[in-house]
Amino acid sequence: MNLKISALDYVQEVKTGNISAEDFVANTIERIQNVDDKLHAFLSVNEDAINQARAIDKKIKSGEKVGDCFGMPISIKDNMCIKDSKTTCASKMLENFIAPYDATVIAKLKRQDAIFVGKVNMDEFAMGLTTEFSAYGPSKNPWNVEYVSGGSSGGSAVSVSALECVASLGSDTGGSVRNPASFCSAVGYKPTYGLISRYGLISYANSIEQIGPLTRTVKDTAFMLNLITGIDPNDDTTIDNKNEDYLSGIESGIEGKKIGIIKEMIGEGIDPAVLSATKDAIAKLEGLGATCEEISLDMVKYSVAAYYTITATEAGSNLARYDNLRYGYDFPLDGYEFNSYISKARRKFGPEVIRRMIIGGFVPSAGHSGKYFLKALKVKSKLTKEVNGAFKKFDFLISPTVPILPFKLGEKIDDPVSLFLVDINTVTANLTGKPAISIPFANSNGLPIGIQLMADSMHDKLLLQAAYALEQTVRLPEVPI
Amino acid sequence: MVTEEEIEKVSKLMRIGIDDHKEYVEKVHMMINFFDILDSAGVESEEISMPEIPISKLREDEHIPFDDKLIERLNHYKGTYVRAPKMSS
Repeated sequence: MNLKISALDYVQEVKTGNISAEDFVANTIERIQNVDDKLHAFLSVNEDAINQARAIDKKIKSGEKVGDCFGMPISIKDNMCIKDSKTTCASKMLENFIAPYDATVIAKLKRQDAIFVGKVNMDEFAMGLTTEFSAYGPSKNPWNVEYVSGGSSGGSAVSVSALECVASLGSDTGGSVRNPASFCSAVGYKPTYGLISRYGLISYANSIEQIGPLTRTVKDTAFMLNLITGIDPNDDTTIDNKNEDYLSGIESGIEGKKIGIIKEMIGEGIDPAVLSATKDAIAKLEGLGATCEEISLDMVKYSVAAYYTITATEAGSNLARYDNLRYGYDFPLDGYEFNSYISKARRKFGPEVIRRMIIGGFVPSAGHSGKYFLKALKVKSKLTKEVNGAFKKFDFLISPTVPILPFKLGEKIDDPVSLFLVDINTVTANLTGKPAISIPFANSNGLPIGIQLMADSMHDKLLLQAAYALEQTVRLPEVPI
Repeated sequence: MVTEEEIEKVSKLMRIGIDDHKEYVEKVHMMINFFDILDSAGVESEEISMPEIPISKLREDEHIPFDDKLIERLNHYKGTYVRAPKMSS
């Protein structure tokens, strides 16, 4: 069975009876069993998936109304709650946590008859960009297993790229969907802030993070957005998108559109292969009738420091709930005083989480908040003004998703600042709330390169049209696993 | 420039025990020093803009029944109370 089909093709094939949901899901589970020992995308696999697919086939045969997913196998980043399933956040702290409710995105997909084939790997509490900070070991890049998958939604990207599911949901706080999508040759989408409910997503940095799909095609991303966007009374930051249909008009093209090339994202430190791919993408967009022109966004060079200051501060607050009394693991109380008990229990956190908690306590603290946290908020405000100004002139902004190629496992893990800088092109969309997408575009020595397009808030539909136009200009090699 | 002693003090206040000085304090020190770049951003006069959600837009503050007794899932639930460590030694 051909597992390398798009979500839309899957739906069509099942709807018309060419394949059954049960066969497809069974083959997907077999694929996971065959390749995941090498890739480690999954933290847990849904043992009931085939039965659930069989039930959907029955519904189809009996003429019952079937949801738009028709049993499509989807993987879910392990920081989203699925009722009565383990949700570990790739942390030992939550290794036995069973979610008591469904996240809004999960409830919406269940209503559309999606099948969750499993929960996928990530950096612990989404803090990282390689999955090397997962308490259960890193995911491997299916294009070369000696290389990082990207992160923090690395398991999502690997599972899509390696045909272990048709689509996945990740979360993007500073590029955590787009970065692994770029490194593994998948489409990765960070929506306008508020477009998708965060209810049931385990919080890291609430003010900027968003759930986003990872898929094989841009149309599949539009299809997924149709299913999971919209206002949610359980998340007051959600915005009303008037039931926008992101698929309709997706082939409208980009003739006459203006695209800004962000100068600070193609400068110092960029890999020559990535720069060459970016220039190629710009030429192709111009060939489709767009006009491209360089633009400078001064605040981009401060964006990574501002991003890590803000996210660590929010993480320090969000992770305070893990005191081993409300959430935690089985650890006896006797012999401990209150503070020493919590301190001891928190040793279940991995080193990166502990480092960010310490930073999260430090940067907003009395005597330091003016130097770090308030300045970071001011950079965020000024960056937002610069980007808003850019969108008065341009329809889209373009850059490589990541300025470097995927790197070897272990290569950067001991150099936190070098790892921070990998985020330089992605954090702007989060700090400003804008939608951004990574489109698989090139391959250099067997390693994928993604191109990022960004649009103004609530221009998600237009952004998908541009991304689709660019996607149609490339033909990429098959994943070698 | 922050000192390692300051970092250790904040860790203690946050109830985070640190054994491995190199693993935590030195790396946190590197990270925080990287944030010093914010000093050259020239944003002193910038106003901080925060998104505002009017009270009228918030959902009704009403009880929504939940059929699962979540308290019973806690590790140290004792039937009528949750046991916690003693507050002082």
